Parts: sequence; structure tokens; C-alpha cells
Amino acid sequence: MTEQTKVVMRLDGVGDVHRLDVYEANGGYRALRKALAEMKPEEVIEEVKKSGLRGKGGAGFPAGVKWSFVPKDYPGPKYLACNADEGEPGTFKDRWILENNPHEMIEGCIICAYAVGLSHIYVYCRGEFYEGKRRIEQAAQEAYVKGYLGDNILGSGFSTHLTVHTGAGSYECGEETALLTSLEGGRGHPRIKPPFPASEGAWGMPTVVNNVETLATVPAVIANGAEWHAGMGTEKSKGIKMVCVSGHVERPGIYEVEFGVPISGIICDLAGGVWQGRKLKGYFPGGSSTPVLPPEKAELPYDYESIAEAGSMLGSGAIIAFDEETDVVRMAEVIARFYAWESCGKCTPCREGTRWMLQIYERILKGGGRKEDLDILLSICDNLEFRSLCPFGDAAVGVVRSTINLYRDEYEEYIREHKVYRRKFVPVRH
Amino acid sequence: MTVAVQLHPELRKWVEERLARYPTRRSLLVPTLMQAQKYHDYASPGLMQAVGELLEVPASEVMSVASFYTLIPKHPVGKHVIQVCHNVSCYLRGCDEVIAHLEERLGCKVGETTEDGKFTLVTVECLAACGSAPVMMVDEKLYENVRPEMVEQILAEAD
Ligand SMILES: Cc1cc2nc3c(=O)[nH]c(=O)nc-3n(C[C@H](O)[C@H](O)[C@H](O)COP(=O)(O)O)c2cc1C
Ligand code: FES
Repeated sequence: MTEQTKVVMRLDGVGDVHRLDVYEANGGYRALRKALAEMKPEEVIEEVKKSGLRGKGGAGFPAGVKWSFVPKDYPGPKYLACNADEGEPGTFKDRWILENNPHEMIEGCIICAYAVGLSHIYVYCRGEFYEGKRRIEQAAQEAYVKGYLGDNILGSGFSTHLTVHTGAGSYECGEETALLTSLEGGRGHPRIKPPFPASEGAWGMPTVVNNVETLATVPAVIANGAEWHAGMGTEKSKGIKMVCVSGHVERPGIYEVEFGVPISGIICDLAGGVWQGRKLKGYFPGGSSTPVLPPEKAELPYDYESIAEAGSMLGSGAIIAFDEETDVVRMAEVIARFYAWESCGKCTPCREGTRWMLQIYERILKGGGRKEDLDILLSICDNLEFRSLCPFGDAAVGVVRSTINLYRDEYEEYIREHKVYRRKFVPVRH
Repeated sequence: MTVAVQLHPELRKWVEERLARYPTRRSLLVPTLMQAQKYHDYASPGLMQAVGELLEVPASEVMSVASFYTLIPKHPVGKHVIQVCHNVSCYLRGCDEVIAHLEERLGCKVGETTEDGKFTLVTVECLAACGSAPVMMVDEKLYENVRPEMVEQILAEAD
């Protein structure tokens, strides 16, 4: 029986945890007090490094290592951009944190700012998170009043500020360099790396970009110590992860588990298995950007390495399961449209490639697919992957290539039989 | 011809209170265009020009930026905006039926506004609520596990 290991979600169900007094009564801001009173900034970075904490926004990069890349004696200001743009289809954990446990994230932000010497925290929150933005604003205000934010925090001599910054509807703005361009008041266009944000980020200054969940895990790491965190999970994927399960399961939701538990345990024991007694046809292990895996690969341990070895990615931790009755071609079209419409347009392979792929899907679903269409789709994938300016392009090919490989007969049936998909509505770009 | 727009004093105040939090005025561009919707109907050319003057950004760049973001309306919209997620997890749990039902009930298609100007219906990408799919928003309020039968109640609440 797969069980949850609640860390960021340990106060789930306590009620009103978004209020400072409730959060404090449950041990909140203890880690910040400990860091400021007992640890030098370098020691905090060292502790997070030793803990093995990896970024939860998609790439899984070790957080402490990222922090250590920021120049120590930089003559200008340095910043933290907390990535609360949560746009990867299938992912809904950061919204939960923002709305239900905002102080834990803020505490993590302040500890990070102290460790790296960052003078301002920008929480870049996606535009649709009206409730989340209110909760973070309120929590930050409470933290200012209590002296956790602002000048000379808790008499330590360290100062940092926090500002909630709203996005306005754009998936690409979750990509770290596009996020920074947007923060500066531009279209959400990514920048070529290097330079990485840690050396040249917001307004040209060194900037740490971390995901909400990553930062919300930091207080527990500092409070309980690196060894406690490193003792959970697997050799290379240490710790815990909030896994978002959606699609055709009985109990969709967020389940926080140790890395290494079987994926089938997450889908069956925690999420109640495939709905309506049906069979699993396949699943996305880490959001719509990750290649689909077949049911045979649901026995894998849930960790970065095992999922990569199986040909996909753990991504943002979003398992989307679909049952045997799913029209895979239409499902892939939904996602192809998403990438075509959300491509920022800065680089040609992505702007054109995603648009061509959508056009081919549309013609297949209209019954006008051609014999060569699957080869064209696959060749667009080859020309798009690793050739776009940011990883958006790689993200867009996952579903196309994996579903053609796994369910080729369904595509061929559409094309051979001139099968027509009856749309219930016509999607319109706005 | 661009019709000149005077920025609402509350919006100016909102901007001025926040300028000190950023190293450049321009950084407030996207948040200002979002906040402007509380006081102005939509991001008209006149509004964009006025925002540009306030933040010292050329009007053409304000328009370029505004055109990038879907939550900034560049055309007049209804009194309430209905956003229904049409992305994968919501698709798997029946959002197409909800959208079709909304079109029928409102008498307008996706992307259109009802004749009485009350509702604009759009479909949007993942709203980060896939655990309770299908979902939709009316203005700032999220509705979860939506079924076609619930639409009547949801519309009544907005009114
Ligand atoms: C197209 C695209 C969209 C992304 N969207 C998000 C997002 O919404 N939230 C997020 O935290 N990271 C997102 N990322 C990953 C970020 O670029 C970055 O890796 C992450 O914020 C770093 O934080 P972490 O190390 O704590 O995970 C996205 C990446 C790409 C390529
Ligand atoms: S797919 Fe609809 S909320 Fe995520």
C-alpha cells in the first residue's frame, strides 16, 4: 500500500493555516529563526546542498547548487523570483500552496534570500490566481508586521522585501528567462542561456528563480536538517514530491509522496485507480510536456532517473491518466493546440513547427489526413526538438511523438477511413 | 482615431504606491494593464497610450506587450467574462460538453459576447485546477467539477 509522506502538506486539514498565528502555532517561522540566529548564509546553502533538494518546477535541478552559482560579492542588488506561474497542464500543486500554505512558501523565500543575499523577492503569480494573489499579499503583510520581512529582520541585520507580481495569461512566462522578461515589462520572450539568471537575471542582476514548491520545502529542510531530507526518497532523487493526479482516475488530487514509490501505487492506492472500472491506456508522468508512457510502465519507481530511463520525464509532477476509451488523436490535438497557441513566437522552429503540427492534427480530425502525415509530424518533431530557443519546443514534441509511436493504429484508422471527429465546439483563439 | 483616455485616479494611485518596489517604471506595465480592468472597460488604444505616458513606455510597445497576454482584453468584452478550460485534463473529464452547453444556453459561440452584453465566453488553457476538472471561471471566481446541469446556477450567481 503506497502511503503519503506529508511535508509541505503536513498542515493540510488543520484549517486557516494561511493565517500567521495558525502557521506559527504549528511551528511556522521556526526555521527562519534558526537560520538567522544559528547559521551563516553559506551554511544555509551548504545544508540545502547536502539535503539533495531538487527543483520542483520541472527540471529537477539541485536548489543549493543553483544558489551557490550566484556571485557572493556582487556590487549591485540581487533578486529572488519565486515562480508561481504554474501553467503546465496537469499541474495544480502551487495553487494549493499559495492558497492554503502561503507562509511556508514565504518563509522559504526569506531563508533563500538570507542564504544568497537577495534584497528583493518577486513572487511572479499567474494572472488567473486571483485568490492565490490575495492570500500571498495578506500573508506578506502579516509577515512585514511581525518583522519577518523588511529591514533588519528579527534584529539580524538582514533585510529583504517581497512583492507579488501578476502575470496576465501566458504559459511561456513560466519559463524562467521569459518570466524575467515579463517581470521587466515585456512580452514573455525567453532569452538565450548562458548567461543564466544566477549571473544575469532580472534587470541584468543575479537572480535566483525557484518554483513555489521548491521554496516551500526549504523551511522543513532547515528545521529538520539535511540528513532528514536526504534520508527520504532514492539515491539520486531525494526527498518528497507533491504529485498531481488528474484525468481518468477515481480520486484526482494532490498526493505528497517520497520519491521511489511505485507509480502504480500513486495511481491505484492514492488516486483510487482508473475510473468506472476501466483499464489504463496510458499516462503522462509529468504534465502535458512529457512523453506518454504505456500501462506496462506504470510499475516504475516514481523518481527522476527511472522515468527518464523509460523515455519520459518526471517534470512538474503531474500524472495525467487516460482510460482505454480515450480518443488519443483528439487528446493529442488538444495538446498540440495548446503549444501552437502558447508558443511565444520568438524563434522560428517553435513558432512555425507547433503551428504546422496543429494544422496537420486538424486535417486528420476532419477526415482529410494524408498517408504521409504521420511521417511529416515526426519529421517536424525532429526539426523542433533541441532547436528552439527555450525548452518549449522540446515540450511540444513529447505528446506527438510518443502517441504516434504507441498508438499508431489509431492515427492510421483516422487517415485510412477518413474518420471525422465530431467537434462539440469550435475552439477560437483570443 | 485614438480617443484620449484619462486614467482613473485610483489606478494612478495604485501605480504610484508600487513604483518604489521596482528598479524601473516599465516593470509595472503588465500589472497596470491588469489592474486597469477594474476601472476601464478594456485596453483601448487610448488607455494604452495613457498607461505608456505614465510608465514612460512608447505607446507602440505598450500595444505590443498587451497583445501578448490573453488576460488583457484588446476589444470590448461583456460585463462578465466566462473562461472555460479546454486543456487536456478538463477534456478527459468532459469540458467539451460544458462548453457546448454554455454556447447553447448563452446563444453565442466561443469567442463571442451575448447580445445583451452580459457575458463573454472564451476557452482557455489549463487553469491549474485539473484535480477538480472540468473547471471554469466567471470573472475572478473558480468553479470546479462543473457539469452542464450546474451552468444555470453559475450564471445566476454572476448576475
Ligand atoms: C515552457 C516552460 C514553462 C514552464 N513553466 C513553469 C511554471 O509554470 N512554473 C515553474 O515553476 N517552472 C516552470 N518552468 C521551469 C522553469 O523554467 C524553471 O526551471 C523553474 O522555475 C526553476 O525552479 P526550480 O529549480 O525550483 O524547479 C517552465 C519551463 C518551460 C520551458
Ligand atoms: S486542464 Fe483544465 S484545469 Fe488543468
